[in-house]
Formats: sequence, structure tokens, C-alpha cells
Amino acid sequence: MNIIHITLGILLGGAVLTYFANKISGIVRDLVFISSIVVAAVLFFIKMTPDTVATFNLGGITLALGMNHFGLLFSIIILGLAVLAGFYSLPYMKGKDNLGFFYMNYLLSIFGMMGIVMAKDLVTFFIFWEIMTWSSYLIVVYNGNNANKIGIKYIVFSALGAYSMLMAIVMVYSQLHSFAIADLAAGFTTMPAGYQIAIALLLMTGFAVKAAMMPLHVWAPDAYSNSPMSYTAMFSGALSKMGVYGLVIVFVTMVSHLPQNIWIRETIAWLGAITAVMGTLYAIFQDDAKRLLAYSSIAQLGYIITGVAIGTSEAMIAALMLAVLHGIFKANLFMVVGAVERQAGTTDLTVLTGLIRKMPWTFLSALIAVIALAGVPPLAGFVGKWMLYESLITNSNYILVIVIFFSSTAAFLYAYKILYGIFLGQEEPEYKDVKEAPALMVIPMLILSTLLLFLGTFPGYLFKYIDNALVVMGYPVSQNKWWEMSAIFNDWGNKVNLDLVAYAVLTVFITIAVILFYRWKNTRYVTTKDLSSCGEMPKDDENYSFKLDFYKPFERAISPLLKYKISKYYDEFADGMEAFFDWTRRIYNGNAQTYAIYVVTFLVILLLIANNIFSA
Amino acid sequence: MVGSPVQLIAIPLLAAFLMPLLGKAWKELVRLTPGVVLLYLLYLSVDLLSYTIGHGRVVEVIAGWTPPWGINLVFSPFSGFLATLMLFMGLLVWIYSYRFQPFEDYDDYEPTLKYYLLLMMLITASVGVVLTGDIFNLFVFIEILGITAYGLTAYYRGRDGAEASFKYLFIGSLSSTFLLLAIMIIYSQLGTLNMADIAVRAHELKPVYKISALVLFLVAFGIEAEMFPLNGWAPDAYSQAPAPVGAAFAGIVVKAGLYTVIRLIYTLFDVGGTYEFLIVMGLITMIIAEFAAFSQARLKRMLAYSSIGQMGLVLVAFGIGKEEGVYAALFLMFNHAIIKSLLFMSGSYLVYKSKNKYISELNGIGKMLPVTSFLFALGAFAIVGFPPFAGFWSKLAVLTAAADSGMILIIALILSISLIEVVYYLRVVNRIYFVKRDTDLEITKPTPQAMLSMLVLGAIILVVGFYPDVITGILHKASATLLDKGSYINDVLSLSQTIN
Repeated sequence: MNIIHITLGILLGGAVLTYFANKISGIVRDLVFISSIVVAAVLFFIKMTPDTVATFNLGGITLALGMNHFGLLFSIIILGLAVLAGFYSLPYMKGKDNLGFFYMNYLLSIFGMMGIVMAKDLVTFFIFWEIMTWSSYLIVVYNGNNANKIGIKYIVFSALGAYSMLMAIVMVYSQLHSFAIADLAAGFTTMPAGYQIAIALLLMTGFAVKAAMMPLHVWAPDAYSNSPMSYTAMFSGALSKMGVYGLVIVFVTMVSHLPQNIWIRETIAWLGAITAVMGTLYAIFQDDAKRLLAYSSIAQLGYIITGVAIGTSEAMIAALMLAVLHGIFKANLFMVVGAVERQAGTTDLTVLTGLIRKMPWTFLSALIAVIALAGVPPLAGFVGKWMLYESLITNSNYILVIVIFFSSTAAFLYAYKILYGIFLGQEEPEYKDVKEAPALMVIPMLILSTLLLFLGTFPGYLFKYIDNALVVMGYPVSQNKWWEMSAIFNDWGNKVNLDLVAYAVLTVFITIAVILFYRWKNTRYVTTKDLSSCGEMPKDDENYSFKLDFYKPFERAISPLLKYKISKYYDEFADGMEAFFDWTRRIYNGNAQTYAIYVVTFLVILLLIANNIFSA
Repeated sequence: MVGSPVQLIAIPLLAAFLMPLLGKAWKELVRLTPGVVLLYLLYLSVDLLSYTIGHGRVVEVIAGWTPPWGINLVFSPFSGFLATLMLFMGLLVWIYSYRFQPFEDYDDYEPTLKYYLLLMMLITASVGVVLTGDIFNLFVFIEILGITAYGLTAYYRGRDGAEASFKYLFIGSLSSTFLLLAIMIIYSQLGTLNMADIAVRAHELKPVYKISALVLFLVAFGIEAEMFPLNGWAPDAYSQAPAPVGAAFAGIVVKAGLYTVIRLIYTLFDVGGTYEFLIVMGLITMIIAEFAAFSQARLKRMLAYSSIGQMGLVLVAFGIGKEEGVYAALFLMFNHAIIKSLLFMSGSYLVYKSKNKYISELNGIGKMLPVTSFLFALGAFAIVGFPPFAGFWSKLAVLTAAADSGMILIIALILSISLIEVVYYLRVVNRIYFVKRDTDLEITKPTPQAMLSMLVLGAIILVVGFYPDVITGILHKASATLLDKGSYINDVLSLSQTIN
């Protein structure tokens, strides 16, 4: 009985208990739920030491769980977000139906994720991967919005990914007669060449689905935006990182040994970049804050995938840095949107307006998260992006840099849109009574924002974990200058002092803020109806918000690019398959005579060809 | 001291004859007798099974006529495992159907007696099929099985039931004809009906007889094992039969059908190409059935096609051969018996009051029948192979076996088909829980007995899912036994030598 048993036991037991506690009372349920996350997280971080191992023997297979620094990095994201989003859930989910069911699946998906990062063999990995998948699926359909379309899309892609993985797993076993990941890493090169490439690509498919890489991303916008926001914070923040976790392992232990190494890396890096660009462009034109963030998540994961695919030491650090940061700021933003949804009743950006004075704390954390997302100094997002550019340039991927830079710049547009759409603009009377979200929702957001500010200033704290993680994956130890933000991994001669850049920008921002503050006195608050246009009186039901058709000219400019929706092809394929299945069904026409004819025909054919297929 | 395997056949037959008399004394005895008998037989069978695992197979000679002349019963870890599984499922089906409301609606003594008689004979015949060592005896048991199954299919005296039963009868009689023909060929050429003896002397057959007999056997047994294109009768029979009977078909009857194919290929004839034949036919069966299941609008028909698809997968696993393949196939059979029976049992309560049994009528029923819906969802999750439920381990086993034989394409095919399965099962689960109800729905709560048997099955799914070792040991033993053809022949035929 060690900490691995305890952590997983608490999470699993907590899940079951929470479900049954729901029958007693809401308060007991909430207490059981939150205490199982908090206790599991606290115990985990206090007691967990790398090299703890737990083994189980099941069905003739030894299942092994253990921890190393690489898994630890991801455990921090998972458990950290789980605790914060868990507290946030309590007021956010209050009053909804079937909460026992929701919290049970919430805990089960954390259980699944923790199992994944601790899995030492492929079967364990797969078991926990599937637990994570179906528990998250049950939350995606929890709201019941169009469950049969959105839910099925999610589960089909997830199952496609999972089954690719399963196929790879049994192929590995047939070659190495071991499921251990360590054996796979060691014995990978001894396998036949065809197996090597097939296994690497199949595993990659499985992980790419969860990381929502194009063209396997079509489930993501619906799934992210239809889950309750308190879960989407986890879903986009932590669960999608499981794909990244797996991709890192595949690239490091498998792809780097393949002769087609370069081609695979380039292809995946480009797919990541295209994902980033398309995700960003779609995000810009979303009028719903949830969908905007969903597309933004896809885009951000694109950068991470590019970094992982390039796979140099710098690129990997950048990717993992972005992965952690994305977990923080995207969770923060989804929480913001959830708070707005709860308080104002909608997430439609064309309707929402001017909530800054009603929900100042929410605005503050949204502002910080958005700045981090856009990658503006001095927040942490900048460091990650900067390092990604640097690693790409070092690796001579100049075009890739341009593409990613484009998408990163375009991200400003949606970053601004969400901020302006919700919080800025004229105040409308219908939002007169909106209040700030409850403290339990605001505090987790503020904690995440503070974290972003902190990591922006002292990224060294994060680098330490990332560096340890990469050492496990076989990368060399980087320089030990944790406290200096500047010059780390800066191959341009350690000349550019990033601190200086960061604080210069900060000063400019503060100066502008101060000037604006002093002009504030003369501000007059108006509504959108407070205007006179050629003597015509604006009607109440007309929407005069600026947010309507916000980026219309830009949209018109790039509309040819947006015409090609991959989901359309998937839908056509699905329709075609369904028609085909229906056609096949007619073999069973319900007529006894037809069935008898089948039997006799089969017998006759078999007798005729028997000598060819059977050898006595 | 272990009881004799003969009891497994003789006691229910005796009980069946006594039941009308007992019913005259006290009507409730008609309902109770099968349960008592099955419980005793299950105890006996478990006892025998644990004995055979330690001491090797038990061969029981009937009436002192030693093999190859007399009829003998072979209780090995393989056949014993299947017999035990059947008796266990039979017991659960009995619990489920005890005071099952539609049966009570007849409010008549005759139908009740018929139902319990037929059900007990159905189980006995299935057990007989797997235990017998004599091929003509096998034919007799298959006939009993068929006749009881036709009767049970048409139990609701409606048009649909009668039609389904007629189809079953029609195709089933073709099966009997071919089977009898094949047995005639064997007997005319070898002069023996004992399976071990046939296995030893099969090489004496001229190729043309051997191949014709094989083909006739394959078609005859293929009909029982629901192999495509011989399975047209199955969806109707499954969906029109009363709910407990549907569960019995999935859990018991089809297992007996599969057993015959397997015994034929693994023991009787050593003919090249049969394993490949199994793989190809299994894949075709699986693909067509899952396609058909996908486009069903009615719940029970969907389950029926899905069941056929699973049988296809079992055939593939048996076709892969070796210990791994057989192990995977037996595991699949076990899981299928447990899970599909649970799905039939809970599914029939979900569409209980519905006239057309459409899946689209299930919207939001999860709130009204929480436990039943939960068990159905558990079954659905288990059968598509989500860990940590029972179905995952068998799926892993079959894929590992295929990978070890280098059948990469087959793995890809099986997994693609699983994807279809995921879609149509989760569509139902979505409707049950996550689609809002738009029309009123009449429901009936399951009887406590029905709930008990469903909960037992649900518990097994969880236990096997979390701790598969409860079952894997015996599966390994059973698969090793099936593959060891030499010791089967030896154990059976040595009896005559020791006595002579």
C-alpha cells in the first residue's frame, strides 16, 4: 500500500461515494466530492516521490504504475486544475440535475488521467485512457444538448484513437511479448521496420485525437462548448494534455529511431501549424464565447504539437511550457465564461456587453488570461511563444515560424473579441442586475491569474519541473539558471535580456492605464440605444452592438479559406456509411424462403468449392 | 465423492416428467421445480468442474456399454465449463422469469407448465449437446433443443411469435436434415458413432466422403451457431421470443451451437483449411450482422444482430486457433453470455409497454427506471469493451491472439467493426439518459426476482472487469483441454480397453 494505491483509491472511491452521497443530501455530496479531490491532491504532492511503483496482476498481465518527473509535470496540471475547478464547480453546478452523476464522472476522469501519467505499461495506460474517455464522454452528453450528434462524434473519434492505440499495443506485444513501456522504448529498434512505423503512427493517431490535431479535431468545438464550463476547464486544460503527454513519448522513444524521422516530424509539425492557423481563424468568427474558446484551444494545442514534433531540446521545453500555461490560462478563461454564463445567463458575445463594472474580478482574471494567451509580455505566454519561435528558427523551419507567427498574431483578434464582447462596450439595461460571481468561483480564477503573473516573471520555477521531466525523457540537463528569465536557452549569444523587454512593455501599459484612469472622471455611460441616426429612433429589439459582425471585412477576406470544412467530409462519409449499412440490412428480408435459399445456396457453393478450400 | 455427469441429463428429464404430477398437488411446484433442479445441477456441475480441473476429464459410460459402442458423456474442463455456464445462466433465466408478468397474464395453469417444462428441457438439451461423446446422441439433443426453442419462441400466441417460430423451424429442420445426412455418411463408412472413435479413424474415410460430411456438418452446425448466411432465423427468434427466452438464447442456446462447430473442427476431423474457413466466415458474419444491427430501429432486434456479430467474433477467435485463440474465444463466449443476457433482460423492461419496441421511444427513460437503465448502460459499456468492464479483457485477448499470429489486417477489421458497435450502443444509452423525453411513456418496474438476476449479472461484469483472474484460470485450463485432442481420444477409448 503506497501513495499510488492511496491516490487512485481515494479518487475511485470518492467517485462512487459521491454518487451515493447524492442520495443523502447535496451538502454531503459536495463535501465528499471536494474532499476526495483535495485529499488526493494534497497526499499526492506530500508523499509522492519519483520511483514509487505499484504493481497489480490481472488476467495474467502485470499492470505497473509508477511515477517519474515527466509524469509529475502533468500530475501538477491535472491535480492543480482539478482542485481549482472542483471548488469552482460547487457554486457553478448548483441546482442542476444529476449532480451525483456529474461529480462521479468528474472524479473518474481525474482518476483516469492520473492513471495515465503513472502507467508503466501499455495495458494500464489503455485502461485508464478509456476510463478517461468514457467518463469525459458522459460529461459531454450530460447537458443533453443534441447528445446523439455531439456525444457520438466525440466518442467515435475517441474510439478511433483508442482502437488505433489498442492495435499498436497488441502489435507491440506480439513482437516483444511485454507490455512494459520501458521494454517498448528499449526494444523498439529490434522490431521489423514495418511494425516500427505502423506502431508509431497508430499511437500517434490515438494521441492526436485527444490533442485535437487536424484532421482529427472535429469533435472538439462541440465537445468543449457543450460540457459544463467547470469541466471544460479541466477538459481543455488537462485532458487534452494527455494527448500531448503521449505524443512526447511517441516522438522521443519511437519516431526519433525511425529512418523516416524527418518526414514524420515535418508532417506533424505542419499539421500542428495548420491546426493553429485554422483554429485561430475559426475562433475569430465565433459569436459564442464558449465556441470561441473551444477553437482557441484547438489552435493553442497546434503550437504545442508543432513544438513536440520538432523535438529539439528547446522546442520540447517550449512545448511543455506552453502546455502548462495553456492549461492555466485556458482553464481560467473557461471559468470566466462559466461565471458570465451563470451570472448573465448567456455567452453570446453579440448580446453580452459592458460587464466590467458588474464583474470586476472576473474581468481582471479574464484580462490577465487573455494577455497570457496572446503571448504579450510580461505574462508567461510570451516566454513560451518566444522559445517556440527561437527553437523553430534554430531548427531552420523559417516558413513554419511565419505561419505560427501569423496565427499567434491573429489570436489577438479573438482575444480582444472575447474581452470586449463580454466586459467592454456600452452598458445595457438588461444587465443592470448582474452581480459578481460567488467567491468560490472568483477565487480559483484569481489564483490562476496570479499564477500566470508569477510564472511570467519567474518562469524558472516552471523550467525546473520541465527540465526534470525532459531529463527523464533522455534530454540533456539544461543550464541551471532558474532565477534568470533572460538568456536561458538563448542561442543568439545570450545577449537579449528578456526581462528588460518585459518590464519595458509593462511600463508602457501602466503609463497608459494611469493616463486613462485620470481621464475617467469625464466618462459618461451610454447604452447602444443612446444615439441618433438621421433622426430615426432606435428600436428596443434591434441590436446596435459593435460586436455584431465584429470582424466582417476580415472574414470576407479569408472566406475562401474557411469554405473547406473537414467536418463536412466526415458527415458525408458517415451518411454514406449509414446508407450502406441500411442496404446491407436488407439481406435479412424477413422471408423464411429467402433464408432457406441462402442455406441451400451456401451448401451447394461450399460443396462445389470444398475441394479447393479443404484438404483432407 | 463427485456426482456423475449423467445426473445432469437424467435429473431434469425425470423432473420434467414429474412436473405435471407435482403441479396437480400444488400449482406453485411447477414454477419451483426447475429452480430447485437447476440449483442442484449447478452445484453438481461446479463440483465436477473443480474435480476435473484437478484430475482430468470424467468420462461416464451409460448402461455399461463402453465406447465406441455405447453412449458416453465427457465432462472435461472444456465441456464442463460450458455446461456450468449454461446451468448458471439457466438458473438466472429461471429467477428472471419467475412470476414474469406476461406469463402471469395468461392466468392459466397450462401455459405456465409448458413454459417451465420447455425452459428446463432447453437447458438440459444444451447441456447434453456439450457433454455427449456420441454423434447420434448429439443429433438427438440438437433436436430436443430445436423443438423446445421453437415452442418457446412462439410462446406468446401472437402472429409475430408464430412467424418467427416458423422461420426457426424451417431453417432448423434443414439443419437437422443435413446433420442426419452427414451422420449417415460417417456411419456407413466407418460404422461408428462415437466421436473419439471417429476422430481416430477419420483418415480411413475416402476424401470425397470426408469432405462431403464435413461440408454437411458445417452447414448444419453453422445454422445453430448463427453463421452467415445461415442465420436468418436468429434475429426474429431472439426478438419475438419472451424476454427471458431471448436471454436464454443468447446465454445458452447459441453456445451449444458454437460448441458443435468447434467440436467438429477441433476434434472430429483433421482437415486442412477449416481454421481459415472459420476466420473468413466469422469475419463475414460479424461484419454483416454489425452493419445490420446499426440500422435497426427496434431495440431487441438490434441486440439480436449484435449477438450474431459477437458470435462471428468468437468464430474468428476459434479460427485463430492455438491456446491463445481458444482462450480468447472462450472468454468471449463467457462475456457474451453474461453481458448479452443482461442486455436482453434489462432491455425488455425498457421497452416493456411499448408496442413497436422502437429505440426512439426510450428518450429519458433513465429517470423512470434508474436501476434497469443503469444495468443496461453497464451492459452496453461492457459489451463494446470499455475497460474496466468484463468485455475489455476478452477483446484484449482476441486481439493479442490475432497479433501473435500476425493477422494485422484482421485486427484492424475487428476494431473498425467495434467502432460501429460503439456508435449504436451509445446511441441507445444517450437516448436513455441524455435525450429529453417528448412523449409520455408507460413503464413497468421489474419484479424483484428479475432485478435480482440482473443485479447478479451486473455484479459479475464488474467483478470480472476489475479482477479477471476469477475466470481466467479455468478458461486457460478449458482451452488447453480442447486443444489436447490426443488425450480426449485416449480418455474415452481407454475405457473399453480397461474393461475388456
